[in-house]
Amino acid sequence: MIEVKNLYKSFGENDVLKGLYLTVEERKATVVIGRSGIGKSVLLRCISGLLRPDSGEIFIDGDDITKASRAKLLKIRSKIGMLFQEGALFDSLTVFENVAFPLAYHQLYSEVEIERKVMKYLEIVEMEKFVDAYPGELSGGMRRKVAIARAMILEPKYLFYDEPTSGLDPYSSAVVEIMIKKLQSELNITSLIVTHDIELTRFIADYIALLENGKITAMESRDMAFTEDSLVYEHFIKRRERIRAENGY
Amino acid sequence: MPVKKNEAANEWLYAGKSIIFMYGSFSYWLFKDMFPYRQLGEQFIRTMLEGFATIMVGAVVQGLFLAWLGGYYGDRFGAYIWIGTATTFSIFRETSVLMAGILFAARVGTAFTVEIGSMSMSGQLDALRLMAVEPTQHIVIPRVLASVITLPILKAFSDGLAIFSTMVFLKMWFGVSFPIFLEHAFEFLKPSIITLSLIKAGIMGFFVALNACGLGYYFTGGAVELGKTTTKSTVINFLYVMIIDLIFGIIVELTGWGTV
Repeated sequence: MIEVKNLYKSFGENDVLKGLYLTVEERKATVVIGRSGIGKSVLLRCISGLLRPDSGEIFIDGDDITKASRAKLLKIRSKIGMLFQEGALFDSLTVFENVAFPLAYHQLYSEVEIERKVMKYLEIVEMEKFVDAYPGELSGGMRRKVAIARAMILEPKYLFYDEPTSGLDPYSSAVVEIMIKKLQSELNITSLIVTHDIELTRFIADYIALLENGKITAMESRDMAFTEDSLVYEHFIKRRERIRAENGY
Repeated sequence: MPVKKNEAANEWLYAGKSIIFMYGSFSYWLFKDMFPYRQLGEQFIRTMLEGFATIMVGAVVQGLFLAWLGGYYGDRFGAYIWIGTATTFSIFRETSVLMAGILFAARVGTAFTVEIGSMSMSGQLDALRLMAVEPTQHIVIPRVLASVITLPILKAFSDGLAIFSTMVFLKMWFGVSFPIFLEHAFEFLKPSIITLSLIKAGIMGFFVALNACGLGYYFTGGAVELGKTTTKSTVINFLYVMIIDLIFGIIVELTGWGTV
């Protein structure tokens, strides 16, 4: 389980996270939604240990990563896989080499074993026919799928997704959504997704947390969040309609 | 506009900090964990291929320039016999290493800044960290060490080509035959001059690559900022090359290691 307590993070005079609390249940998909630039990616980077918060605690399976030594942090990070915005694939490596990279670098398996594992995950994300392609030759959706395979290759307990469908057309978005859902149901992974994509949220979320003013202001189950009585619905989902109405449309 | 002046000053301050942080990070990670032998090999081949053509063109231009200068003054003062000595000495001691360093900074150094800056911008450096791979170790150290090896080798090739092109141009324009040129060409060339110029090239390669990698590594922003950072990389590295050359010049004069 992941527990975030009283988290603060600022950049200069810009206070991004202001006493944030969040709990991510095991084997569930928790989606953090909020406006662009509100601090969703900052939250994800703090939880994954890529950014050091100004204060607060982040417990991953009971270990506080804000106080962890480098060795401890590396051990905790081995439980985490992350899909970055745009995929963050290595341009100079092929699809196969990208997915194999963490295994080959750390020399965790023999070459035969690495090939078997890479092909297994490329088949899960339906990219096994593109092993020799370079990221520049793939569409946005395909790059995300390869990035998911790379995030999965070390078999992490937690998988973080940073805006997994941003910039994708509806078809590619749907393919990525299905991929996330499939991993969630088949491999029982604990997922933490940050997005402002309502359709994605509706499709994959078990729980929805609303990030506003540097804090989680509401945390609801998916069934609850899409009802008229919901705070998430009132503050985020319905906002588009409200802004249109305020402007006379 | 005072605001813009402050912005520019802050950008240069940040560039300076990036370079200093990279010196620290490089020193810290150089002997930690696994040494990236494979990446070092890859970067050696890459820097050789990228730097070769540019530095060789520079060597030919250098030969052209020295032939014109040497031929003109040789003709004026009737000192053809010493043209070989003067041009060879200046190529080995100063011009070849200076030109190789500047061209290496322009071709390879800027490529490092853009490449690592783009990796930072697209999250690839964070992706490495999350895979428990330290980017300084995987990305920076191989590029820097490869440059330390590559630049002296390219400089040595450049020496040979610059002397040859000087000979060819002197023959074409001033009718100085190869035997006359070669008669005294290597007379005053001591091994210490060649050794010092190769060491100087190695040090230039080290700082050019380290500065360029540091500016890319700590880069933040978008395409416009990356363009500005690349310009800074070029300017800073040109200055470094000239300062290193100057320091070596002073050392040579003080110790007498490279003088005739």
